Amino acid sequence: MPADVALPDLAAAKSRQGAPGDLIFRALTFLFALLVLLILGGVIVALIDGALPALRTFGVSFLYTDVWNPVTEKFGALAPIYGTLVTSAIAMVVGIPVAFGVAMFITEICPIWLKRPLATMIELLAAIPSIIYGIWGLFVFAPFVQQYIQPAIINSLGQIPGIGALFAGPPLGIGVLTAGFILAIMVLPFISSIMRDVFETVPAMLKESAYGLGATRTEVVLQVVLPYTRIGVVGGIMLGLGRALGETMAVTFVIGNAHRISASILQPGTTISASLANEFTEAVGDLYLSSLVALGLILFVITFIVLAFAKLMLLRLQKRAGG
Amino acid sequence: MSPATARQIMSLARSDPPETRTDPSLRQKVLIRDVDFFYGAFKALKNITMPLHDKRVTAFIGPSGCGKSTLLRVLNRIYELYPGQRASGEVIIDGENILSRGMDLNLLRARIGMVFQKPTPFPMSIYDNIAFGIRLYERLVHHELDDRVESALRRAALWDEVKDKLRQSGLGLSGGQQQRLCIARAIAVEPEILLLDEPASALDPISTQRIEELIAELKADYCIAIVTHNMQQAARSSDYTAFMYLGELIEFDETELIFTRPKQKHTEDYITGRFG
Amino acid sequence: MAIYAQRRLINAVVMVLAMAATGFGVLWLVLVLWTLLWNGIAAITPALFSQTTPPPGSAGGLLNAIFGSVVMTLIATLVGTPTGILAGTFLAEYSRGSRFGELVRFINDILLSAPSIIVGLFVYELMVIRMGHFSAWAGAVALAIIVVPVVVRTTEDMLNLVPNALREAAAALGSPKWKVIVMVSYRAAIQGMVTGVMLAVARIAGETAPLLFTALNNQFWSINLNAPMANLPVVIFQFAMSPYADWQVLAWGGALLITITVLFLNIGARALASWSTFKQ
Repeated sequence: MPADVALPDLAAAKSRQGAPGDLIFRALTFLFALLVLLILGGVIVALIDGALPALRTFGVSFLYTDVWNPVTEKFGALAPIYGTLVTSAIAMVVGIPVAFGVAMFITEICPIWLKRPLATMIELLAAIPSIIYGIWGLFVFAPFVQQYIQPAIINSLGQIPGIGALFAGPPLGIGVLTAGFILAIMVLPFISSIMRDVFETVPAMLKESAYGLGATRTEVVLQVVLPYTRIGVVGGIMLGLGRALGETMAVTFVIGNAHRISASILQPGTTISASLANEFTEAVGDLYLSSLVALGLILFVITFIVLAFAKLMLLRLQKRAGG
Repeated sequence: MSPATARQIMSLARSDPPETRTDPSLRQKVLIRDVDFFYGAFKALKNITMPLHDKRVTAFIGPSGCGKSTLLRVLNRIYELYPGQRASGEVIIDGENILSRGMDLNLLRARIGMVFQKPTPFPMSIYDNIAFGIRLYERLVHHELDDRVESALRRAALWDEVKDKLRQSGLGLSGGQQQRLCIARAIAVEPEILLLDEPASALDPISTQRIEELIAELKADYCIAIVTHNMQQAARSSDYTAFMYLGELIEFDETELIFTRPKQKHTEDYITGRFG
Repeated sequence: MAIYAQRRLINAVVMVLAMAATGFGVLWLVLVLWTLLWNGIAAITPALFSQTTPPPGSAGGLLNAIFGSVVMTLIATLVGTPTGILAGTFLAEYSRGSRFGELVRFINDILLSAPSIIVGLFVYELMVIRMGHFSAWAGAVALAIIVVPVVVRTTEDMLNLVPNALREAAAALGSPKWKVIVMVSYRAAIQGMVTGVMLAVARIAGETAPLLFTALNNQFWSINLNAPMANLPVVIFQFAMSPYADWQVLAWGGALLITITVLFLNIGARALASWSTFKQ
């Protein structure tokens, strides 16, 4: 080895240089990872802390009482909870089939050169901020619905005895259905994107075996791809649901903000996040504020459960795929 | 390959007469003693004992899974990056057992250079690639660093090809050039030992030949251990050969003897292509 | 043969439906962007950028709101990005298979999709109540909390893509672990990490709910971070829901500004990502 002289110098210079740097860096990264946990912990603590007065006053009945009177200070979360669940349900009913259609089209049907641009366009739907959907919904979509869609629904479905009650009432444009529909547009890119990812994981050989037996494209997708990816699909749907439950601004603009439960989905209502957005900054009185925070806590619990479930599904899929 | 053919290859590859057994310049650099290695509960190396001589090339050969790469990676304790992998026994370098618990791994690795199967240039300029290891431990003035970089690139037979593009990314070089870059990077820190893990397996035949020529030159300055699945390469390039099978050292001897008069039947079977 | 004809029919119908669904999705994108442009372009005047938000019934601009949004987004990014990178580094480089790492990853993904209004409530309880007033600081913190999970996720994903051989090569030269990470892994992953930051910024650029309870809004020009600060989303919320035409026009203008920024960042991030994979 050239220049043995170098060796003693190197030996001295090379002593213990790395060790403190490693310790510090590792501790630093650990601390910030811990911070992530603390943020969630903090959220839970803050919500419970703020909601406690309301929960203590109303108890469990808060969850199923339909009243919202800031004057008499009587609050019950039923209307917002109902609105949250119904708008999300509408979003799922409309959004899931559309997302599935989009995923199927992009992965199995459309020509290669179109894949990237289409996928990007659908993903841009997700990038548009909620408030943009809100303002668009209020000024463009709601009037359109009021003029054309709602009268059509009222005159057709609304006339059927029984379920007609679901579609009754004056066409206001804004309302639960409109909000649910806009939510559908907002969550469809999330669901579709996850569906696309899991559809792509299906081994080509598996699909080819089905085609080789003479199956049509529809049959391959419905009978081979979908069963193979069902865990991921469910995970994606749950993720979309989680998003729909928590959406605020778009819903606030078009739901009408009426603290009541109507049988008809054409009527205004409210959701938890819309109530919070509309009333929080003007709420006077500790019990009023606390009731709003309690609403937030309920929303957090619901979305946490849904998101945790979605995550577990997707983890199971990963484990199975990764081995 | 029959022993006769092996002998022919040996005589073609070397123009010098074969070295005699008693060579005064022969010095043991590394002694591997009773080394076991575990991947979790699986025992991948069983009781390996062998020397590595200074200024000589020792080749590890054997079929896939025999443990030759595992053994190589024991020597610079690179396996310590992964939990669940551990080694027992002794590896004595210049009188010091490097497997002992108090050993500073970074210092150890600065004395031992390693080149991997696939070229691994860092995402930085060619100059910075070579300087990376130097900068870890030495404070050099600008022109001293330039000299060291140039010297390393010259010894790796890469200088002429890159001297005008030292500031360009290492990723822009061809496969063979990238591998020579990695060799230059390894020798720039002036190690005592070089570990080469199938350095030419990802390269085309011409690049492979250049790497082998390079190894022949580098031998004069370093103790080299090379893992190869290419027997002809081992026969051409090395002075000593260790044949391994299923985690055991079957036979260790001068390369010429291994390929012409192997002592173990197993060795002979492998060399003549009966398995592996 | 009748069965075959039926199968073919079903196939054709489903294909058409799938195509319709995709068209449906693209249609809404085009519709939203088109109406945004149509209604917002009228508001894009020099006055938009030079005048502050006006009282109802008079003309004005969005200067204070733009300023507030830029400032809070900047602070949130400066605070959230290093936090996210370090936490993501922990997950990718130090926590192989550990229970703690799995927990952090799990919680991070929950935070990633959690309703942003909850974050607003949290920071309200944490800062606004304690400080006794709304402030731009609180707004920036709320936005930072939204930035962190995005950056953690992309950092971890990008670092996991760095091949182990590269780390081994650096370690084999005697480099201490932190240098391997900072000087080799980060450099190899930098493009992906930058993309992640861009996407995070795009996300917070349009967030309204977290700012509603933290920074609130400010009619006037203010650079006081310790007081309520105007910002585009909340201004849009207030103006759009109002009955005043002037205000509504400004709301559209603000909406257009936000959308352009967000789309620009998104498409830019995508372009960066595909350029880097192309390069290698």
